Amino acid sequence: MIVVDQLEALLFVSDEPVSIAALASALGLTEGQVEQGLEVLESRLEERGAIRLKKIAGGYQLCTKPEHAEAVANFLKPQRQRLGRSLMEVLAIVAYRQPITVAEIDTIRGVQSDYSVKALQDRRLIEEVGRRHAPGRPLLYGTTDQFLHQFNLVDLGELPPVPDGMSGVSG
Amino acid sequence: MAPRTVPDRERPAAIAALGVVAPPPIEVQTPTFDGSLGMLFQCVRDRKVDLMDVPLAPICEAYFLYLMNSPSVGLDEAAAALAALAFLLERKAWGLLPVAEPEPEIEEPLELPAPSVGQYNLAIEALNVWQEERSKTFFRSFEGGPDPYEVPYKLSDVTPTDLARAFERLLRRASPDVLQNLAAPRRSLAEQMSLVLKSLARKWLSLDLLVPPEISRSEAVYWFLALLELMRLGQAKARMREDEVEFALAS
Repeated sequence: MIVVDQLEALLFVSDEPVSIAALASALGLTEGQVEQGLEVLESRLEERGAIRLKKIAGGYQLCTKPEHAEAVANFLKPQRQRLGRSLMEVLAIVAYRQPITVAEIDTIRGVQSDYSVKALQDRRLIEEVGRRHAPGRPLLYGTTDQFLHQFNLVDLGELPPVPDGMSGVSG
Repeated sequence: MAPRTVPDRERPAAIAALGVVAPPPIEVQTPTFDGSLGMLFQCVRDRKVDLMDVPLAPICEAYFLYLMNSPSVGLDEAAAALAALAFLLERKAWGLLPVAEPEPEIEEPLELPAPSVGQYNLAIEALNVWQEERSKTFFRSFEGGPDPYEVPYKLSDVTPTDLARAFERLLRRASPDVLQNLAAPRRSLAEQMSLVLKSLARKWLSLDLLVPPEISRSEAVYWFLALLELMRLGQAKARMREDEVEFALAS
């Protein structure tokens, strides 16, 4: 059980999702041992307390349970803003079609998307991931780990399939 | 590197390419070139020295030292040196630029997806649901950093427009700056913040009372920037009183 306690301690002090490999390296264990430990920790936390283990953005992190959301929100007073329709459209298109250029996003939406792309970049939900080898070498955009984190996703493979052969991208 | 005076007889005679005035006798010493700035200019122009092997930072430093240490710098001479430096910098910049790759030719039209944002409706719904779910859980770090769209401090009843008007009024009463030596050290905003902090009090003060009556425009800018930064850091606060912004120490 000491391994489970150690895992809990590492995850408690971590301010970002921690991969199994990083946990294994820190504790001198195999990844299999860490996975077993995490399973035990997850069930132990689910049984009691206000904290749960969450697999998110390619790693594991501790978070508060949803039933305490109101109390925590009253305490932290987070100024979260839900994304509007246009931002959500652009975000979904980038998530599925990445890497993608602004011109391609414009074509899919039928309207200009420069502002939305900039706004999503400012929110660190998308980022520049390179340039397309095409005339003008336009910038390519893709989603970030912050996107996965903000939308409760482990990886991009969790995105639901969309019609017309536009399958979700692999993480 | 301290500039060293070069005797007049050693100064290159033919600097006519720069104009009628030769650069001042600024001596530069680098691992690959030892001589005057004018000589370096000539050698580079005549392709006798490969500029790629000559570090320019020490030469620029020597120029600044020359400006700062020579109280009676002639404007023409200083301008000639600047022109020589600009020539060297431009030549080196061009030399350092990567060779442009030829743009690919269009063999066939790019295949762009048809306008079909409706196909993403299901995904958008899913993202909305996940965002809602996520808003009910709190993590250690991702809640900590302020959203770039949030104002990280409370401005109470003061709007950014009010602040802009106050800044405009301050600028109106400030006097134009006296021209200074370009090489003079820059002013530190941190020092200005500590000065403003000392001037702030628990009692609310308008900008007219807070800022000294005789200030230049650049000083006015520093005062206002320091005030904004102190507010951002939670050490100062602002309020509106009779169409005027007032400032005080944050409790």
